[in-house]
Amino acid sequence: MADAATADAAPPPSVMGSTGRKRKLKRGKPQKSNKKRKPISMASKKPKKPSQKMLKLFRKRARDYHSDEEEDLDETGDKKSLEESSGEEEEAQEDSDDAGHEDEFSGSDDEVDGAQQGITKFTEGCRAFRTAFRKIMKKHLSNDPLGPILSANKKLVAEKLAEEVEDQKVKGEAKKEKRLAGEKGHVMPANFLDAKEKFLISVATKGVVKLFNAVNKAQNPQKGLNPSRAKDAKELAKRRKQAFLSEIQKPSTQSYDNTSKLNSSKFCIPTNKEDNEESGWAPLRDTYMLTSSKLKDWDKMADPASIDEPESRHMDSSSDEE
Amino acid sequence: MARFRNKRGKAPAKSPGMKKPPGVNQVTGEKVPKSIVFGRGKLPGHLKQLEHDLRKLMLPHTALKLKEKKRNNLKDFLNIAGPMGVTHFLILSNPKSIPHLRVARTPQGPTLTFEVCEYALAADVARSQARPRCPQGLFQNSPLIVLSGFGNGAKHLKLTTIMFQNIFPAIDINTVKLSSCQRIVLLNYNSETKLIDFRHYSIRLQPVGVSRRIRKFVQNHQVPNLRNLKDVSDFVTKAGYGSESEADEEAATVNLVSDLSRVNRASTKSAVKLQEIGPRMTLRLVKVEEGLCSGSVIFSEYGKEAITEEAQEASDEETED
Repeated sequence: MADAATADAAPPPSVMGSTGRKRKLKRGKPQKSNKKRKPISMASKKPKKPSQKMLKLFRKRARDYHSDEEEDLDETGDKKSLEESSGEEEEAQEDSDDAGHEDEFSGSDDEVDGAQQGITKFTEGCRAFRTAFRKIMKKHLSNDPLGPILSANKKLVAEKLAEEVEDQKVKGEAKKEKRLAGEKGHVMPANFLDAKEKFLISVATKGVVKLFNAVNKAQNPQKGLNPSRAKDAKELAKRRKQAFLSEIQKPSTQSYDNTSKLNSSKFCIPTNKEDNEESGWAPLRDTYMLTSSKLKDWDKMADPASIDEPESRHMDSSSDEE
Repeated sequence: MARFRNKRGKAPAKSPGMKKPPGVNQVTGEKVPKSIVFGRGKLPGHLKQLEHDLRKLMLPHTALKLKEKKRNNLKDFLNIAGPMGVTHFLILSNPKSIPHLRVARTPQGPTLTFEVCEYALAADVARSQARPRCPQGLFQNSPLIVLSGFGNGAKHLKLTTIMFQNIFPAIDINTVKLSSCQRIVLLNYNSETKLIDFRHYSIRLQPVGVSRRIRKFVQNHQVPNLRNLKDVSDFVTKAGYGSESEADEEAATVNLVSDLSRVNRASTKSAVKLQEIGPRMTLRLVKVEEGLCSGSVIFSEYGKEAITEEAQEASDEETED
């Protein structure tokens, strides 16, 4: 057994796979340059060095061993693709291959020397490799988000992920800020009516009541008259005219009175058309803004006939104060 | 009627070159103000909602489902405003994350720029109420408008009054049906804080002098629970708890001209009850411009230089004239 082991050259690097072999090749080159020193070292390791004859024998045995096991794989070697597949066979093949290389390169003792160290562990290594490889293949991948990666990369990837998380945090904060900015001014109303709301409601109620009463007053006399009938329409017009005339005879218009008295609720109730014309306060006319297309000096647009407007002159001066 | 219309045509306030614009009321021949509400720039979700609420408020003479695109500019809206008879623009924008509302008269202006200090959406208001009310046909008629506290004579306040009075169609007292008055918009100016409270209420009428039980019985069409009563007459005679608002109801009662509903008859007195429907806004008038979002600044809350500039411009124009 030991014999067979010695026969096969340089197993450990080959066991390691292609990288191992490369390393070995690299190592081989500087050794070439160191050739002159080698005899000394060789001399010291003399007993370990097998003769040329033995080497040949080893190679042959290796070949035999190989061909015995598997015919379809030919001995020509250099099948790097097969290295990974599995089993001892390839190992053996590689070994022989390696041995061939060694011969080509230098046939130096050094390689043999290296090989010899591995020779003792060859079978063991093979088996170990086999088990290791099978183990790896059987292994189920965990659900690690990083996935199967090299340990050297692991740190890098973890760093990257951490960075991403941080980035997201920053982004989230920015988003939140933006949302808050979008909500600026948005307030939730209280579930109860506070004093201010109550006041506002009372103001609005006052306005509504005023309108309803005005409507009541205006429409009460015309009860029972149908405006679409010609006779009734005439009657209505007559009454309106009377109402208009009576309004004129009053010292000041009612609508203006209301606003000045209460200083609060004014609502746009341009009464009827006659009222519109006679209502001194220009804005109360429903056509005030609508008809005047040129609003450059809207405050001066109020026709001079409207005497009930002390504000207009007052306001011109007030603009300077502002 | 026709005679009066002729008279109106000769009214001195009317400018001579005025054409009869579209959007004229078929019955009265008056021009119906129409408005569109839209946003400029990118609006956050809440402001979009506010925009929709405002559109609902401006119903029925508005475009509820107006589609706006990013590339639409003011000119586009102005171009459609003419043929569609749109008289007012309500423009929401969000410059520097401060919501602004601009109310403009088309096509010449003026433009009032309000800063929306606080706002609550209609949905928020409804959520805050135990029983939000939205009867059918609430939005079929345009709201009444009540402007309060604007009467201190300042120029910009007067302009605000005019603007808001004309944003909704005017009511003719002689022909108006009270059943069409279902909503009210209130603008209350606080002269101390210079803030305008903008509220939107629904109007409800309730018969006065009827106990709550009977009112509910008439309204709900449901068989009342008489288990706790000894006699049927107790249902009518036994008084329930008087509500807190009963006291100040006195001022808020009206006599109706005609029957408004099954409950509110002409013969009975009715109490006016308001319930908020939202949206709710607190506005601050910051700027008044002469043109449509352009032109010289008539009033500016913050910048005095703007006013002086305007005065200078005005004087320039006068010399030109």
